[in-house]
Amino acid sequence: MRRVSRSTWDSLAVPRRCVCGNPIRLNDLLSSSFSTSSSSSSSSSLPSSVSTSSPSRPSSIPTIRSPSSLRPRASRPFSTSSPLAVIPSLLPTQSAKLAALHGRLGLPNKYPLATLGRALIDPTAEPEHHLNNDGLSNLGNVLLGYYASEYLMVQYPRLPYEILKTAMNGYIGPNALAAVGTEWGVEAAFAPGATVDPGLLQFNRVAPGTPLYKIQGGVGFNIPRKRNKMVPNFENNPSVDAELAAETPEMKAAREAQRPGQDATTLQLAMSSFVRAAVAGVYLHNGGLSATKEFVHAHVLSRKLDVDKLFQFEQPTRELSRLCVREGFQQPIARLEKETGRYSRHAVFIVGVYSGEEKLGEGQGSSLPEAKIKAAISALKGWYLYSPVSGVDLPSKTDENPLAKFMPAVIDVGDVVS
Amino acid sequence: MVVRGLQAVSKAQNGVGAFILQCKRLEFNYCEMSGSSRGMKAFLKTRLATFAKENPGVEIVVSPRPKKHPIIRGSYINKREKVVCVRNLEVLQVLQKAELLRDASGDKIKKINKPVQSLNDSVRGIWSPYHAKGEDVYKV
Repeated sequence: MRRVSRSTWDSLAVPRRCVCGNPIRLNDLLSSSFSTSSSSSSSSSLPSSVSTSSPSRPSSIPTIRSPSSLRPRASRPFSTSSPLAVIPSLLPTQSAKLAALHGRLGLPNKYPLATLGRALIDPTAEPEHHLNNDGLSNLGNVLLGYYASEYLMVQYPRLPYEILKTAMNGYIGPNALAAVGTEWGVEAAFAPGATVDPGLLQFNRVAPGTPLYKIQGGVGFNIPRKRNKMVPNFENNPSVDAELAAETPEMKAAREAQRPGQDATTLQLAMSSFVRAAVAGVYLHNGGLSATKEFVHAHVLSRKLDVDKLFQFEQPTRELSRLCVREGFQQPIARLEKETGRYSRHAVFIVGVYSGEEKLGEGQGSSLPEAKIKAAISALKGWYLYSPVSGVDLPSKTDENPLAKFMPAVIDVGDVVS
Repeated sequence: MVVRGLQAVSKAQNGVGAFILQCKRLEFNYCEMSGSSRGMKAFLKTRLATFAKENPGVEIVVSPRPKKHPIIRGSYINKREKVVCVRNLEVLQVLQKAELLRDASGDKIKKINKPVQSLNDSVRGIWSPYHAKGEDVYKV
């Protein structure tokens, strides 16, 4: 028989059971054992409850889940006042997974486990607004947008608007935030429900074959691949255009009236909304904007994104020419600097683009036009990717202290428009 | 004449900014009867509470595994597992194995030949024969 993998068990939220059928989670035990100052009784309760979980004693679980284990304690934030309705069987304070996630993120004791548990509940799993992460996620989205945009605008003041949007998406878009959540070690439950561990991400999954445009935030059309090959199965899956063209006006009205994403979402979107909600929790519990800024910079903006690889120019030589006109430079001239093997199969040309005596950029190509275009791109990137060396402050520096010494960044006139 | 953006997703650099411990979960399995679990059971009674308190980011699970040697099973963020058999080991040796699993990244063991691994481009740049001058043309 095929062995069921452990990750499958985890996602099904079936707790690991000992022979007596009772799950043992040591962090639950620890929550009680370290809570009180009477360490003599607590330290002895741990090994006894561990060792007594033998097949002959199936009644050991009440000792583990005794009400004393729910008592708040000073060392870890296990206090909660609002149990969540979506998980009646297990409180957030009783979940070892949730406590471990809290510890892994290095969150302080002020950040309650109930908030982290609520951040893990997607609106598709629990429509009650005060129980899901909808509001937290919106708040986190605003905070993430604020810190990412100010960081990018100060770091690259001349970035064109399109590239700025792309870079923002690279840092705080759904794909990036879903990657952050996955790298935090967050696992998703197979399906939301009462028996699911509060440390698992709960959301309602999209049924297979659902067009992506019917999901909130989804773009495009997911065509299932035939036997994992790159051949779309057009017969059974008409294109999005065909499907949209085939629908009657009534169907169209019904589709537009229906709010998308009400009942199901993808893992990626659910994970990204969890990360946003976790950021909002930092703002609410950890001490406001300064703690949030630190958290966002540590977890999101410290990631690697090559902004210089986000550009796609349509007419770089023309754009460079317009830029020189706007800035009052002399017209750019491309000059051949070196070449080798012009009549061979592997010609190499090095072209530099000059404005008067100033060299703006350089490119290498196997033909003269290619090298010239690359030189123009290099010159444009040199302009757009200007970054102040140091000494420039982020505007959020004055959030906490309005009188703090502040060095403003360059404000550029914008990208070349014509 | 417009610039268009090419979509990209930021890449993780664990430790630059925040550090996330890669070990998610440690599961301690022991046998109630057999002698090979003696050190493991002593570890569970004397050391595990301290170990768990020192490592709040690791979910710790204890469960019996009758008629088998004791093991420690670590689960990692990269969805891999590492299992260490701790039969006949003493308490401190079991602790060492638990620490080994806690500190592991979860990746397969691989030989690292380069002193530096980085996502950043080389600061020095790539040598080009077209830009070197004089004798330097031949110096790589």
